[in-house]
Amino acid sequence: MSVTATPAPLTLPAQVGALRPIAATLVERMRHEAMTVPTDWVIEYGDYQNGGWHTLSLLNDTGDPRDVMIRDCPTPTGTSLLRQMPAVSELLDSLGLKYMWVRLARLDAGSFLWEHRDYGELSAVERHRLHVPLVSNSSAYLVLGGTKVHMGVGRVWRLTPTVPHGVCNLFGPQRMHLMLDCYADEALHAFLDGGECDPAGAQPLPVPSPTNLDEQLATARGLAELGYDQAAETGLLELFYRYAMPEGQVYDLIVNMYASLHRDEDAVRWRTKKNTMLGRN
Amino acid sequence: MTTALLETVAAANRPRQFGLLEKAVDVLSHSRALHALYVRGSLAAGTADRLSDLDFIVAVDDPEFASFVRVADALMAAELGAILPGWHDTIVARMGGLGYVYLVAYEGKLHQIDLYLVPASRLDTVLARTTAMPVYLAEDVAARAHSHVDWFINSTLERPHTPAELLTEVLVLGQMIRKRVSRGQRFIAYAEVFALNTAVKNLIKAALAPGSTFYGWYQLPEEIGATPIGRACLADLDALIRGPAVPTGDDLSTAIGRALAVARRAAPDAVTAFGPAIDAYRHYLDLP
Repeated sequence: MSVTATPAPLTLPAQVGALRPIAATLVERMRHEAMTVPTDWVIEYGDYQNGGWHTLSLLNDTGDPRDVMIRDCPTPTGTSLLRQMPAVSELLDSLGLKYMWVRLARLDAGSFLWEHRDYGELSAVERHRLHVPLVSNSSAYLVLGGTKVHMGVGRVWRLTPTVPHGVCNLFGPQRMHLMLDCYADEALHAFLDGGECDPAGAQPLPVPSPTNLDEQLATARGLAELGYDQAAETGLLELFYRYAMPEGQVYDLIVNMYASLHRDEDAVRWRTKKNTMLGRN
Repeated sequence: MTTALLETVAAANRPRQFGLLEKAVDVLSHSRALHALYVRGSLAAGTADRLSDLDFIVAVDDPEFASFVRVADALMAAELGAILPGWHDTIVARMGGLGYVYLVAYEGKLHQIDLYLVPASRLDTVLARTTAMPVYLAEDVAARAHSHVDWFINSTLERPHTPAELLTEVLVLGQMIRKRVSRGQRFIAYAEVFALNTAVKNLIKAALAPGSTFYGWYQLPEEIGATPIGRACLADLDALIRGPAVPTGDDLSTAIGRALAVARRAAPDAVTAFGPAIDAYRHYLDLP
């Protein structure tokens, strides 16, 4: 057994926080809608995930729920999906925020959004992302700054997605969140100021020892040598959810793995991908 | 036209594990070390139902066999959604390889995938002892014997199991018994309940008396019951073995709950490490 050091006492990272609670009855109605109404989910942002992150739009600039690639959208309209989800409409109306885009996101068992930054392709105006968890489980959590944060159902959560972060649902069942991208205005600032620090759902990840990383790298190399490249890459990318890893280190490990196997093209490909994922292009 | 419509109906009603079967074959066959992949059990016999597990024979190039076994858990977790490491199957017949059982989350249900890993040079021996159908055959490969394989398989078979491995065994057996209960397979359920109780006993011994020289169920009160924690574990084990030999669904829920209570007491690190996986397991088995 290897020994791992534990980071300093927990504080919730500044980039995430639990905001106001939502009435339990409204949560139950929204959950019912989310689990029964949506069909034809879309898998988009394929470079950022391993295939199990599905979305549909509720507010966008085309009204098409399958149009899910976000862009600046100052006057969004409700999609045909939102019209079938009155409880979700009720919540969005009640918050009174200036929405840019609103999506329903489903993360299946065994699915990941890899370490990345968001909003890099959008104009430089202030905006914030809110999450409204509707269905979750103990193996579904967000990681940023070396801390895992389980966004519990029953509250609105804020997230600053311009810092490196990733999301996983290790074992299921499905996780479903509303994702509200909002332009900053007085209402949003008032909403955010009303938040409270709630570290109950947060837990620091252990710092990996050199032995831990060597073992993981050896396993990944073993997989790649047998021809299981994707499993090797996934195994290293998943370290972001198990250990407190410095920014981009999981990508560096993949680069190193391929370099050690003298697969220079693959090493270059992952070096490039690291820059894309972390918004360094 | 009628045929096409019927095919559409058939596709809509295809058992969920057939999608998992396709995915598993696609994943496993990516390796140049894989010589052949067969399904056996009910899939090969034509008796599969919607609860059937996927039962594979995986023939691996002999020189790569040990490397393959070492990364099998990582492969199954990363590519097929295994929620726990593979249980080293002690029920499967010894046919010259190593058996592992995985619990895999797929399309909202928990499925069982059995891998019988065999050196390619021994594939014929295995095929002679079981009904199997090929689902992947590598082209232009010849089996290469490797002297290291025997030592590797024997040392793996003889290695004592850790508490974490025995906890995995308990959870896998729980899933297997649930299937027997659903199907009304009372005799197999009886055998697997005994296996589950034995796994719990073995877990207690591995955690609290790892150097035990006593055989099986002998000397448990003297060896384990000498301390309060040991007595508490034995009290739970006693409650387990007094449960129905052929359980109902509720009986099984109670038994798994007791087994987990024993594990929390005797091997808390293993339970903590598997915590979210156990939460998911409870969800899929609809346990309280």
